[in-house]
Amino acid sequence: MAIQTLLIINKSGGLIYHRNYAGEKNGLNSNDYLILASTLHSVFAIASQLTPQAVQLNAKRSSNSTDNNFSKGGEKIPYIPYVGMNANDSNNTTNKLNKLGSFMGDDYFKESFVSWNKGGLRQLSTDHFTMFIYQTMTGMKFVAISSSVLRNTADPSHSGKSNTTANANGIQNSTTISYSTAQNSSSDYNSNSSNLQVQIADNFLRKIYCIYSDYVMKDPFYSLEMPIKSELFDKKVKQMVSNLE
Amino acid sequence: MSTTDKTSSSHSKSLKIIGDEIWKNKTEKINAELFAMTYGSIVSQLCQDFQRDYKKVNDQLFTMGYNIGVRLIEDFLARTAMPRCEDMVRTAEVISKCAFKIFLNISPQVSNWSPNKEAFSLIFPENPLSEFVELPMDATKDLWYSNILCGVMKGALEMVQLDCDVYFVSDVLRSEQQTEIRVKLNKVLRDEIPIGED
Amino acid sequence: MSTPPIQTGQVLTSQQKAQQFKLFEDSLPKVNQLAFQLLLNEVVPLSMAVEEKVFDDKIQVNESEDQTNQKAEDVDNSDASNITKDIEDKLHITPELDLPSHVLIHQISTTNAEKREGVIKRLQSIGFNIGSKLTELLVFKNNPNIRFKDAEVLLIMKFICRDVWKQIYGKQIDNLKTNHRGTFYLFDYDYRPIRNFVVDGDISDPSLLEKETSLAQPFLEIPIGIITGVLSSLGFKSEVVACKASFVDKPDGTSKLNFPKGVSFHIQIVNQ
Repeated sequence: MAIQTLLIINKSGGLIYHRNYAGEKNGLNSNDYLILASTLHSVFAIASQLTPQAVQLNAKRSSNSTDNNFSKGGEKIPYIPYVGMNANDSNNTTNKLNKLGSFMGDDYFKESFVSWNKGGLRQLSTDHFTMFIYQTMTGMKFVAISSSVLRNTADPSHSGKSNTTANANGIQNSTTISYSTAQNSSSDYNSNSSNLQVQIADNFLRKIYCIYSDYVMKDPFYSLEMPIKSELFDKKVKQMVSNLE
Repeated sequence: MSTTDKTSSSHSKSLKIIGDEIWKNKTEKINAELFAMTYGSIVSQLCQDFQRDYKKVNDQLFTMGYNIGVRLIEDFLARTAMPRCEDMVRTAEVISKCAFKIFLNISPQVSNWSPNKEAFSLIFPENPLSEFVELPMDATKDLWYSNILCGVMKGALEMVQLDCDVYFVSDVLRSEQQTEIRVKLNKVLRDEIPIGED
Repeated sequence: MSTPPIQTGQVLTSQQKAQQFKLFEDSLPKVNQLAFQLLLNEVVPLSMAVEEKVFDDKIQVNESEDQTNQKAEDVDNSDASNITKDIEDKLHITPELDLPSHVLIHQISTTNAEKREGVIKRLQSIGFNIGSKLTELLVFKNNPNIRFKDAEVLLIMKFICRDVWKQIYGKQIDNLKTNHRGTFYLFDYDYRPIRNFVVDGDISDPSLLEKETSLAQPFLEIPIGIITGVLSSLGFKSEVVACKASFVDKPDGTSKLNFPKGVSFHIQIVNQ
């Protein structure tokens, strides 16, 4: 999954970070990105109100089920091993101290997790790109725009590692209620492959959040909710984006 | 082992296991004594600066904690991807078993619930900030030596839209029976909860 | 790894000692490094906030004396309100907060010289306190790296470069230079507290670097205090030690991505 663009939007809808990784220009200037960010922020809010009543009830019911007090109605996202990690890294670092910023180990996390984003926009697709949105509990949005198109079946070029995740994904579908608005509007939506894409995207964006918490939050000069200037953050993000290609 | 097993089991993990595992495997650690003496140096400097006006020292430690808390919360959430707690009972468990475990390697006990379940106490059988501390006589009445902890919790909870009062009730450093911090929910800042969470 | 069996009475090899020491260190209680890092960095804005308050207090001393007298009268008059106030004081609910930390950090470089001096003194004093206690923590715990028979200053410097720095910043000093006559330079090309610092501004603007270094300067005061604290606890009192820190260019081959400058601590020990 090639990431073309990455946006980070603060809790008030302000754009605090944007990078375009596609070689060619996409014709958007900084101002356009600002507008895109605030528009997304509003659309996200409106979309969550569109959620059909039935789905809301459904979600409530599943949150009442007591078999699993961890998920509480949120969608479980399986851990997909080493999304965005450099395959060589895990070999290189075995002799050194295994560390990713302040995160010990060879990956930022290794367990499945629950999305905080339940009723909001999760993805938005056209024939040419797909946009994924990960929202944190503090209200920030991490947005990735990918050139992969959801209708296509799973892209085999994901590197060997993601193959191992396909079966995890199959199981996951049975437990997932997808009530993300854009997803439902896509008529010929192939649940299997697109779900994998969404899961990869969620894994990826949570890792960007980890990098943010490490390099932006620990910079004492950084003022909360303002644009991110950290070169180190920039570099780590870029690396992860290129590993994903 | 298939990834499926891993997925489902990790969801039913108790908070304690989540906290323990992150502490054990994902956390870079430093000597607790160094941490304690650094904090001690800060407190003693403040006492000197404010000429033993310990209430001012308490406030300053609280503010310092607040500034740390509003940043630390992002780290905690990125690390744990902890879902929003449905009530304060759950919140208390997360604070004790995950947050304190991950950052200070302790798990204070949760107790003294108010009847409406919106206020609770954290009892600290051990406190890495004050392991080797003995307060000067004149400080035992007014100084809350570890008040930074209240500030950190206040800041962090506010960022997840919980407006709480957090304050010390008693401290063994003052020759009181136990070290107790009270957390009282004032209100959930509903308007600020990110849209899309429910 | 071939570790020769330890025989009683036999002197341990340095490798074995190092291993033992590592095991011992690992067994000590620990906390999250992040908690420590955030605490240490927060000391800088804290010092500025305190400076503002203490400074104001100095001016208001006279006024407040009058107020205290007045308060005493009030207390006599209203017992009831006094009790509520007592309870409030006891609980001490959320105090008024200071400005956000990054604003305070900016203030240090824009405030007047007197206040800046106060902030620096405060930071060094906290560092000094940490340094002198740290010696105790490190020296008296069987550390094989430490042999101060004659309190030889070069050995102490090596101790600072290696053990003290490692303990606090998780890395050693990169380079130690000395003229063997009391002058030492300690170079840290990736000084941890400022590793991630970024200042808002145009990267191509040459004055940005100047701005960055002046904002980061206060973060060098704590280690200055730590160095003088360690030296003091090992017999070199602060009267005979001068320590200052400055930014230096990084040598080739070190990471240019982190903070653009390395740090040099210049320590001068006057012959006693």
